[in-house]
Amino acid sequence: MRLPSLTRSKPEAPGVHAEPFWSLRPQSDREAGDAVVSNFMLHWFPAKISKASMAWNYSFWLGTISAALFFLTILSGLPLLFLYVPSVERAYQSVKDIEFVITFGSWIRSVHRISAHLMVIVVALHLMRVFLTGAYKNGVGRGQQREVNWVIGVVMFLTTLFLSFTGYLLPWDQLAFWAVTVGTNIAASIPAIGASVRELLIGGRNIEQATLIRFYVLHVVFLPGLLGVLFAYHMWRVRKDGGLARADAESVVESPRSTAPVPSKTYTLLGVARGTAPTVTAHTLDAPDATVNAVPDLVRRAAIATLGTIAVISIMSVFIASPLEEPANALVTPNPAKAPWYFLWLQEIVTDTTIRIGSFTLNGAFVGGVILPGLLVGLLTFWPWIDKSSHLAAGVWLPRDRRTQNLVFLLLILGVLALTFVGMVLRGPYWILYWPWEAWPEIPGRI
Amino acid sequence: MSDEKQPTDRRDFLLKLGAGAGVAAITVQAGASLRSLVPNVSYDAPTTVKLGPPNDFPDGLKFLPDERVLVFREGNTFHAISAVCTHLGCTVRAEALPNPQTTEAAGAPLRLTHRFLCPCHGSEYKGDGTNVAGPAPKPLAWFRLSFAADDGQLVIDLADEVDRDFRLTLG
Repeated sequence: MRLPSLTRSKPEAPGVHAEPFWSLRPQSDREAGDAVVSNFMLHWFPAKISKASMAWNYSFWLGTISAALFFLTILSGLPLLFLYVPSVERAYQSVKDIEFVITFGSWIRSVHRISAHLMVIVVALHLMRVFLTGAYKNGVGRGQQREVNWVIGVVMFLTTLFLSFTGYLLPWDQLAFWAVTVGTNIAASIPAIGASVRELLIGGRNIEQATLIRFYVLHVVFLPGLLGVLFAYHMWRVRKDGGLARADAESVVESPRSTAPVPSKTYTLLGVARGTAPTVTAHTLDAPDATVNAVPDLVRRAAIATLGTIAVISIMSVFIASPLEEPANALVTPNPAKAPWYFLWLQEIVTDTTIRIGSFTLNGAFVGGVILPGLLVGLLTFWPWIDKSSHLAAGVWLPRDRRTQNLVFLLLILGVLALTFVGMVLRGPYWILYWPWEAWPEIPGRI
Repeated sequence: MSDEKQPTDRRDFLLKLGAGAGVAAITVQAGASLRSLVPNVSYDAPTTVKLGPPNDFPDGLKFLPDERVLVFREGNTFHAISAVCTHLGCTVRAEALPNPQTTEAAGAPLRLTHRFLCPCHGSEYKGDGTNVAGPAPKPLAWFRLSFAADDGQLVIDLADEVDRDFRLTLG
């Protein structure tokens, strides 16, 4: 397929191109490179990319899918912005209208909700992939700072969680109200400053209009804006670090001798060398069978991942309706009251971590809700500086050199999954454990 | 300013002044914006609330959802216990005991007719509010009760926590 283009003429100046479109079937490397330069959508791509780093079974394209899901939440969020009313009196009714009155409203809401939930999963998987392949490690390139991108990625993961959580509140139903009660009380459990933090979060002492509008603005402006900026920086860093760590690993693997990096090939735009750019040893990346032009090969795969995501979400949203609980009722706590699934493991931890030493008691809300997650996030953030494995372990799935840390990481993930399972399946009224086949007892009416 | 300074000092000074002013301006702007988000007024419900005539309260327990408080009556004496879980603030639910028994709470006899369970994280409290199981770090609060001077209604002061030997006696 050749997109319509004007007659090809010689550019009048380097970097200036007359064509409004680019070709998906470039006739030459030059034409392929020109596409990256002349097209805004492609400007973040390198001119050439190693085949290995495009492999489906290396990255599973989880980052691209995350970005596609983010794009979908924004796209489906736009109509919802026109329809949703962020007022405690009208929020619930407006969501109900979206669900039952507005044409395609239910589908749009499902697209938004399913994308958001899947985004939490896919971003988490992306983070796990990067950890297990040691892709936060610098390889053979010069001037790489992959650890910086890892930290940004961790912040993006947390932002994704907060985005999902703030959105969870907006329908102002029972689920929302009590999740926010518990969530902000966790903040309040911090010694000394806790009460002020909670007051700042909810805009007063009670969960009311001020709370809703705060979470609303966080959800529709602040957090998406933050995520967008971080996303752009994340992509920029990937380019500055010489692409995926897999490309480094590839050039190392095929190198018979371990030589110092030769600054013969750079990964800046179109290979224009600059002194500060990361450089990668040349022998494999220059080999014609190891690399391909980004246009069309990278474009094609990115399109498949993105369009595939959109298709899957669109179809899922036809069949999976979004739930809406009873309107928020500050007077009655549902029994059991469960957190959104991605926070169930935290709900389990705050249940089990109240520490009693003699007459001294430390609230589980603080231990399990602040200290432990804080430690985990801190450890995650600074892991690239703790990981002392060889640079040869960058961009390789489960290398021997990183076996212990990968094992510990997987065990932690398994622990989180196990706690999530307990919270999701085994907890019944009054947070008592029941087997899935056990019937929950009848709880006498509300009192 | 001393005399041995270099001629470029003025430029340096102006550059630093400009940069400093810029940073200061942004800092103050950010500070003001953040400060505006800290509420100066909280339109809370009043903490002293009339609960109704004492005779509206049956012997045993009455749960008042608006105040999130449990009011107990034992003959002519009243006491009130908070229904807000001390762990993370969910509302506990009362469960009647099959065999109520009288024990002592803080030196005063108390008939325990219920226990309280939290639906969020499974904390459990005895009838006098003592935390006995689950993550709750401390007992449920007891609040001061009184009779209104004007119409004799039962009044609760949610800002005034009292010891567990507190009783309000009618008549």
